[in-house]
Amino acid sequence: MEEVTTIIIEQAELIHAIDSVWVAICAAIIFLMEGGFALLEAGFVRAKNAMSIIAKVMIDIVFGGIAFYIIGFGIAYGKSNGWIAFDFGITTDDLGLGLTVSNKLFWFIQLGFAIAAISIVSGAVAERMKLWSYALFVFIFCAIMYPIAAHWVWNPNGWLAIRGFNDFAGSSAVHAMGGFAALAAAIVLGPRIGKYQKNGKSNPIPGHNLPLAAVGAFILWFGWFGFNPGSTLSAVGNWELIGTIVVNTFLASAAGGISTMIYTYLKYGQIDITMAINGVLAGLVAITAGCNVVDSNSAIVIGLIAGVLVDIAVIFFDKIKIDDPVGAIAVHGINGLFGTIAVGLFATENGLFFGGGLSLLVTQALGVFAIGSLSFIVTFILMIIMKKTIGIRVSRREENAGIDAVSFGVESYTTFE
Amino acid sequence: MKKVEAIIRPSKLKDVQLGLREANIPCLTIIPVKGSGLQKSYTERYRGAEQSMILQTRIMIMCIVSDSNLEKCIDTILDNASEGQVGDGKIFIYPVEDAIRIRTRTRGIEAIK
Repeated sequence: MEEVTTIIIEQAELIHAIDSVWVAICAAIIFLMEGGFALLEAGFVRAKNAMSIIAKVMIDIVFGGIAFYIIGFGIAYGKSNGWIAFDFGITTDDLGLGLTVSNKLFWFIQLGFAIAAISIVSGAVAERMKLWSYALFVFIFCAIMYPIAAHWVWNPNGWLAIRGFNDFAGSSAVHAMGGFAALAAAIVLGPRIGKYQKNGKSNPIPGHNLPLAAVGAFILWFGWFGFNPGSTLSAVGNWELIGTIVVNTFLASAAGGISTMIYTYLKYGQIDITMAINGVLAGLVAITAGCNVVDSNSAIVIGLIAGVLVDIAVIFFDKIKIDDPVGAIAVHGINGLFGTIAVGLFATENGLFFGGGLSLLVTQALGVFAIGSLSFIVTFILMIIMKKTIGIRVSRREENAGIDAVSFGVESYTTFE
Repeated sequence: MKKVEAIIRPSKLKDVQLGLREANIPCLTIIPVKGSGLQKSYTERYRGAEQSMILQTRIMIMCIVSDSNLEKCIDTILDNASEGQVGDGKIFIYPVEDAIRIRTRTRGIEAIK
């Protein structure tokens, strides 16, 4: 009898060990995505602001990370009334998620999600937002706003979780959350100087280093193979699911790239390579919600749609004079929205196209609408308050001269010696 | 003394430089430049916004030559920089008032020999 007990204890230890290795590796891969965001955004802005965008991503990590530690995690995963919780630090209580990893390791992988969400905003406000105002927004976003969305979706008692909302790795909670905050922030900030002519025509402001942006996209792409499969939160018992997720993740991204290339080629007679970068990312964002419940063919269809949606969205936002230097709103907002709804259409169980009726689709639409609205409205109000008080936009002089020189006293590329 | 300022295709730089060296006019300074001439340009298209013309990349060669070397210098550039196509570039000649070699403080024509 004693022997059996020992074996059971050893097995439990083994499960903890295997799952911890899996989650720790995925969490570290997710953390590297910040490097991807930094390079992607730096490449898409002008040389005079390249360091300022690196600083913004660093602010995402350091301010956002501490904020997510102090109260963010408690709001997301504390004792829930369905809408919100409150607690400090990393609780040692059972979170009710059936975790086989420690709460601390779970916090670390969740940290990656929180700072990924805020990094979406940093791209949309590039080249014109004040650094300290941005840092304040980052703190509030990662301490309160993102945790509320995560609470609704992933806390076992969250109101969306109870309704059966399927957002596996965060098309809504991370991407729509970040994307619609980016939209609100870009609207309040206004376009960069020189982006629109007096007659309303849009001027191209090309990024200063497109290969750098592409490298950033490749790092993000890599990071997604931690982001989606890592959301299983355990390896033991999930060996088939992990395979499904990585294949779906890849297929959707590849299909997104293909459809953007074809779409831009047909439209302009040339492939728009910066759009193709966005197309791949759009496919990734769109599959993030449903990578655990759709089959491989559906993943390709979702990616193909995402790749076209992102092109239409970039041009649409440009037309209505919302200046988004890196396409964050189109990639993360619009495709976070689409990806979440796509679960209701393509899920092999309960999806509309697979004979599952409307109930999942309605839940998905309701969830992403709630999260998008939360994100947009709160960000809009916060930005207006900050605009009226501490100011959110750099001076005209600073914007012309470049934030790097005026705010940091450095240049990204020193020319002589 | 004359200053020869030639705007050429970047792909022709090596030939022109070798030619000048063979003609015993080895001193030159180059500046990468962008500009537009009479030729058609490419339209710049970036993320759906389509508007300005892409400025062509060219190299500007500057060399200061004695009056006696001037024609040789011009001929060398003409021989080596031409594709026979629109967009080959232009050569401009300016008078130079003085030249000074910093190391020896030599002035005038001696400074460029």
